[in-house]
Amino acid sequence: MTDSFCGYQGDRDEALIAYLYDDGGDARERVLFEGHLMTCVRCRDELAALGDVRTQLARWAPPEPAFAVGNGNPQSAIRNPQFERWRQIPAWAQVAAALLFLGVSAGIANLDVRYDTNGLSVRTGWMTPASGDTRFGGPAPSDVALAPNDVAQSGTISAPWRADLAALERQLNSDLRAMKAATTQASPVRGSSTTDAEVMRRVRALLDESEKRQQRELALRVAEVMRDVTAQRRADLVNIDRTLGVVQNNLGVEVMKDRQRLNLLYRASQRQ
Amino acid sequence: MPWTDEELVAKSIGGDPDSFNELVLRWERPIYALAYRTIGREEDARDVCQETFLRAFRALPGFRGQAKFSSWLYRIALNLCRDWVRRERRTPVVQPPEDVDLIEMAAAAEPSESIEDLVARKDLTRLVERAMALLPEEQRTAIVLKEYHGLTFQEIADLVGCPLSTVKTRLYQGLTVLRRELARSNKAKL
Repeated sequence: MTDSFCGYQGDRDEALIAYLYDDGGDARERVLFEGHLMTCVRCRDELAALGDVRTQLARWAPPEPAFAVGNGNPQSAIRNPQFERWRQIPAWAQVAAALLFLGVSAGIANLDVRYDTNGLSVRTGWMTPASGDTRFGGPAPSDVALAPNDVAQSGTISAPWRADLAALERQLNSDLRAMKAATTQASPVRGSSTTDAEVMRRVRALLDESEKRQQRELALRVAEVMRDVTAQRRADLVNIDRTLGVVQNNLGVEVMKDRQRLNLLYRASQRQ
Repeated sequence: MPWTDEELVAKSIGGDPDSFNELVLRWERPIYALAYRTIGREEDARDVCQETFLRAFRALPGFRGQAKFSSWLYRIALNLCRDWVRRERRTPVVQPPEDVDLIEMAAAAEPSESIEDLVARKDLTRLVERAMALLPEEQRTAIVLKEYHGLTFQEIADLVGCPLSTVKTRLYQGLTVLRRELARSNKAKL
C-alpha cells in the first residue's frame, strides 16, 4: 500500500507533519492537503501510522521527581503549602503548639541516658525516676539520674554538659512560664476562664502524651543504636583479628628471611 | 488572578523573593520532564533541572523579555542537556537503578492497575525509550518539545535556532524512525 504513488505537489513530508499536528500554518495548504488525502492511500496510511506512533509516545511519562527543585534554588524559602496552612491556624492553637514544642524540648533537654552495671536507663527530667519501659537489660536504677532540680541546683555537678542542660532547662522553664502568663493574661479578653482552663488542660494532656511518645521513641532509638554499636564492635573485632593475623604472618615471614640471611652469613664466614 | 510569567519575572527583578520561587514551582516539572526525556537519567535530569533554575536566576536581570520566559528557560535547559550528552559521550538511555523494580514501583503508585496492564505499559515504555534513544539529538529534541511540551513549530525553531521547515523535517524523520523501530520491536515481541 505504502508503495503506491503519491502525486502531492509540494513538500509532502512537511505537509504531512503540519497536518498531523494541526499546528497553525497556512489554511489554504491544509485544505489542499486534505483534498490530496482523499485520493492518496499512501499518505493516508502514513498519517495513520504516525498517529499511532504519537499515541505510543503519549504513554511515556518520566518518573515523578523525588525532590523539590526549589530546595536548591537560590532563594530557598519557597512558599510551601504547609506553611500557608500553618498561617491559617488560630493564634491560640499556635500558642498551644508552641507550648507543646517547648515541653517536648524541655523533656529532651533534661534527658539522662546511662549505661552502667545495672544496664541501660533512659529518662527525662519530667519523669519520676526510672519507669520500666525505658530500661533495657537491668534492674531499676534507683540511684541513677539526678532529678531535674538536682541538676539545676546541685553545686557538685561533675560533667560540664549538666551545667549547660541546667541552664537550658531554666531558660525553657522561664519561657514556658512567660508563655503561660501571656496566655492567662490574654484569655479574659477573649473568653471565660473555664475555656482557658480547658485549653490548658488539653495542652497539658497533649504534653504528657507527647512526652510519653517521645520517651518510647527514644527508648527504641537507643536500643537501635546499642544494637548497631554492638554489631559494629563485633565487626571491628573480627577485622582487628584478621589484620593481626596478617601482621603476624608477615612478621613470621620476615623473621624467617632474617634467619636465612643469618645462616647465609654464618656459612660464608665459616668458609673464609 | 495568577501572575503571568513575565509579571513574576519583573517582580523578581524588582527584588521580590517570592516571585522567582513561584516561577520555579510553576516550571520545575516541565523542565525536569524535558531533561529526563532528553538525557534519560533521573538523577541527571534533576541536576539539569536545578542548574537550569540557578542559571536562570543568575541571568534574570539580563532577561529583557524578547522571548517568552518559558522559551528562555527551555533554551537554558536544552543547552545544559546538550552539554551533558556531549560530556558523557553516550547515547541517552532511560534506565532505572539496578535495585529498583519498575513493576513494584508502578504497582505502589497505581495499585488499581492490574499486573497485566502494568507489564504491558512497562514494556511499551521501554520500547519507546529504546526507540527514542536511537534518534539523533536534534530529532529527539524536536519530538520531545512538540509531543510533550506542546510547543509550536515556530517556537521550536526559535528555541533550537533553525528554520521552521527544518523542524518539520526533523519531526517527520524522527517519527518515521520511531515508527519503524516500534514496529520492529513489536514484531520481535510476537
